Amino acid sequence: MGTSYQAVGWNRQKKIYDWFIFGFCVTYLGIFISLSSIFNSQVTFETLLIRSTSTLAALLLHVILSIGPLTRINTKFLPLLYNRRHLGVTMFMIAAIHGSFSIMQFHSLGNVNPLVSLFTSNTRFDSLPGFPFQALGFFALVIFFLMAITSHDFWLHNLSPKVWKTLHMFVYAAYFLVVLHVMLGVIQFETNPMFVIILLIGTAILIILHLAAGTKEVHIDNVKFDMETDGFVKVCDVNDIEEDKAKMFCIGKERIAVYKTQGKLFAVNNVCKHQNGPLGEGKVLDGCITCPWHGYQYLPHNGQSPPPFKEKVSTYDVMIGGVTVWVNPKPYPEGTERPGATIAIPRPVDEKISESLILNN
Amino acid sequence: MNKSEFYIGWMPKAPGGFRRLVRKYLLVLLPIVVALAVAIALSQKKFDTGSFEFGKLTEVKGIYSRTPVPNLKIVNGKDIWGNYSYITVPLIGYGKHGADGVIAEMEKDKNKSFEQRQLTLKGTLLYNDGKLLMQIDANDKPLVNVGDMASQDLLPHVEDLGIQTIKGEIVDPKCYFGVMKPGQGKPHRDCAIRCILGGIPPVMQVRNNKGEANYYLIVGSSGEKMNEAVQDFVAEPTELQARVVKYDDWVVMYVNKEKMHHISFFSLIGYDTQPATCGKKCLN
Repeated sequence: MGTSYQAVGWNRQKKIYDWFIFGFCVTYLGIFISLSSIFNSQVTFETLLIRSTSTLAALLLHVILSIGPLTRINTKFLPLLYNRRHLGVTMFMIAAIHGSFSIMQFHSLGNVNPLVSLFTSNTRFDSLPGFPFQALGFFALVIFFLMAITSHDFWLHNLSPKVWKTLHMFVYAAYFLVVLHVMLGVIQFETNPMFVIILLIGTAILIILHLAAGTKEVHIDNVKFDMETDGFVKVCDVNDIEEDKAKMFCIGKERIAVYKTQGKLFAVNNVCKHQNGPLGEGKVLDGCITCPWHGYQYLPHNGQSPPPFKEKVSTYDVMIGGVTVWVNPKPYPEGTERPGATIAIPRPVDEKISESLILNN
Repeated sequence: MNKSEFYIGWMPKAPGGFRRLVRKYLLVLLPIVVALAVAIALSQKKFDTGSFEFGKLTEVKGIYSRTPVPNLKIVNGKDIWGNYSYITVPLIGYGKHGADGVIAEMEKDKNKSFEQRQLTLKGTLLYNDGKLLMQIDANDKPLVNVGDMASQDLLPHVEDLGIQTIKGEIVDPKCYFGVMKPGQGKPHRDCAIRCILGGIPPVMQVRNNKGEANYYLIVGSSGEKMNEAVQDFVAEPTELQARVVKYDDWVVMYVNKEKMHHISFFSLIGYDTQPATCGKKCLN
């Protein structure tokens, strides 16, 4: 979190992350270009540039799309998620080299504007093998461009988290376009099945990871809460929640995180205002609920980010009956202060005995 | 792993458990990246040996003819039987353009027709698989000399080979014979279409079942340009019926627009027709 916008709020972790991105990209490009030049010596510079950047961008896209579900499956992958936008912008820049150079190579110096040529050269929209695959790649690049230029928190706040998240979910549409771009393009020319096999494996890995992560979410969402008293729903035992941590519940349409801290329970909305991160997987640090995705913080009793920050989440009533925790899933307006529920501290047994002796005497 | 560990990206250091798992992930990812780079690089189809002498201008002297496509017939003496030794060089323009515009400008400038005249032109050569083409660019001032009319015995030898049905792929000869690699197939389709729509004469590439390629210049049934008519057929398996005419070392197909059809890729496998064989035979 920051009180003002910077292009990149550099810290040690970000630098390490970016150095790894750089190292992996250089390794891939170095090997691809060297081997292509040695074993396919007739290759031209233009083709090397177009193919090395396209395949690297596709590889990075698969890595990017795998990070989300990996962190849902195991939160220890969170360091990969925190700076994922750096990976995304890198992928866009590499894809942009591929796209712009392809447009130059295949459409410039002709009798019409290159962008007009892109959409008017191949007009076989009625044929699957003849389909104009370059236009598909162009639209994918447009999506990546919009995502890259809006990747900064400035846009997140100004577009609103909902619009921003919706826009960035278009990455899946872009991925679909990329797969079609490859399948209807170069794969129709190359005779080695390796290209199809690699693409299918990549897609299969992403589908499996997303299904695994989704299954975990569905498991939380499908928990039934039957016992209701005055709108309150029985959710768990007090002892099920660790100190300074939370348990998450999906009651009706409400995603709620019940935190235990400083002898009390507080219920807040589980969805972080930054990028919809799961607040219930966070921790109370310095008295604040801290989102595990990007470290956004909220005060447990009112769901407000500590000043000067302005993010707010909804709060809920919570109460304890014996050792049972009850939550009312009706949300209060974002940032509404709630008292929480005090956890009764069980007195030691010897204290009870001495009290009984005094009474008997 | 310590369950109480908690990661926050804005802190300078990730907890040990997080660092260890990410390190393992990177150690798995690195060989995958290397393996993919190796596999993809080595799985690519081999590129043709075509050459485009980019940045190098060559002067050539020959007899200009605008039909069936603008070309220069370069004669290099006679062989031991007294026959002229020659090669016909189709002319193409800069970028994705035909040579017609440049030739027309030069004819206008000299106020005379170049048809069947000895011309010395300066341009960039491109060649592959026994075919030579030359790019002439107005910026290079390609016209070096306009000579006399050629003698009758140097004009193209024309031989009608009859109506033939041929299967193959329509390519733009500029990219195919040297400028781009690959200069054919689906990845190059848009470029080939743009080149052909820009005036570069379409060429039918036909492979026989020995893998040998033959090339046929495509014009309309009356010799008119077919550039726009072939747009939907470029870089796709195509069958066409045409009157096949041999012009010296090139074979020209006078194509009826109604007799062009898309065919499946599989119908090209094992294809070995008489015209394909003839095309090879025609290359004396």
